[in-house]
Amino acid sequence: MSFEFVTSGKPPISPREKKFSRFLLFFEDVAKVPVFGCQHCGECILSSTAFICSQRCPKRMRNGPCGGTGAGGSCEVYPERKCVWYRIYYRSKMLNRLNLLYKINKIHNWNLEGTSAWLNVFMKRIDAPIWFVRNDKKKVKEMLSDDIQRKN
Amino acid sequence: MTFKEKIESGTFIVCGEIGPPKSCDGDVIREKSKYFKGVVDAVNITDNQTAIVRLSSIASAKILLEVGVEPIMQMTCRDRNRIAIQSDLLGAAALGIHNVLCLTGDYQKFGDQPEAKGVFDLDSVQLIATAAKMNSGLLLSEQEMKKVPDFFIGAAANPFAEPFEMRLIRLHKKVKAGARFIQTQPVFDMDIFTRWMEKVVEMGLHEKCAILAGVMPVKSVKALHHMKKEVPGVKINDEYINRLENASDPKEEGVKIAIEMIQALQKIKGVRGIHIMPVMWESITPVIVKEAGLGAI
Ligand code: SF4
Repeated sequence: MSFEFVTSGKPPISPREKKFSRFLLFFEDVAKVPVFGCQHCGECILSSTAFICSQRCPKRMRNGPCGGTGAGGSCEVYPERKCVWYRIYYRSKMLNRLNLLYKINKIHNWNLEGTSAWLNVFMKRIDAPIWFVRNDKKKVKEMLSDDIQRKN
Repeated sequence: MTFKEKIESGTFIVCGEIGPPKSCDGDVIREKSKYFKGVVDAVNITDNQTAIVRLSSIASAKILLEVGVEPIMQMTCRDRNRIAIQSDLLGAAALGIHNVLCLTGDYQKFGDQPEAKGVFDLDSVQLIATAAKMNSGLLLSEQEMKKVPDFFIGAAANPFAEPFEMRLIRLHKKVKAGARFIQTQPVFDMDIFTRWMEKVVEMGLHEKCAILAGVMPVKSVKALHHMKKEVPGVKINDEYINRLENASDPKEEGVKIAIEMIQALQKIKGVRGIHIMPVMWESITPVIVKEAGLGAI
């Protein structure tokens, strides 16, 4: 019994794929950076964070806010900014996606930093996004199953 | 009985806290441990709290073990990547330290060396999961270990930071990842804490982990004002500020408030213990434990 928490870094991304990844990344940037504030982690979790990139957090929290969110939602590190997780929470609430916040996001695979997340989804390196909460009931249930996703 | 056995047996738990010194003087910890021996069930050892360099938490925890006080080693993600975290956890287990409290850690900007690079390779939920995975005999790389460590994993929760519901979601995640006990931030606002505990009980989380409420005795009203202004994520009820302001002896009043708080906390459903965390005032812990009528051990 083991917990599956790291996205597998293997197989290593081949040079050819890297090229293709860079090509894709261009389009991904156009789509994601201005709208979501994407930081190119290559392991996109936007779909479970109400389409706000959590990687803009100074601590790069992937699983919810640290204990320092101030009154009114200011970030502990840069009080003039809003905590990203504060925004994620309120937008999730608005979009009726609160239950997705219960999903535990895996440990970041730094091998994927700066690669195209779309390609990574396609190559099954990372979890596919959950777009429609209601239509994807089974998947959501799987993601939120009480026991952490276990291998065998 | 060890800390773990005590939690499992359901007795009311009392934890203390020691901040290691800013030098290599281990005797400071031996000195401080005298306040705790035979008084509390376990003592937290902070890990470079507020990003200020101090004696390492592993070494301090080992010193505590030597003098017969059970340590809870804090482990933050600020200073270590996943390799160092696993290696430190293994080291701790080899030294006989089994209680670990997994934290994300204060940002380095607040410390004495704000120019440092923060690591934050894992976050606290993932750190808990890592320790839990190691308990199952595997490293993060899926390699099997010859000897399996036995960590008793804890985590922190802050019921007072916003947004309220997100805090419950996060607690849920931590418990799901494998936390078996939770220490909360110091309670200075009973209403919020009660409301939070109600929700925790509603979600059934109090059965899956032991919730230990934080109690912070304060020496002066200045400390409270400072916390209210400077420390992010704390809420302080004005009632306490007024009481301390009007008291002739603020120290005594601080102790009185702490004791009243402990008595109130004991009555809340789901609270399994308390965690007394005075800042640089360790000597007060035995007084409070005694006056609150909580003889541990
Ligand atoms: S307050 Fe929010 S944005 Fe700031 S460090 Fe904490 S989790 Fe990150």
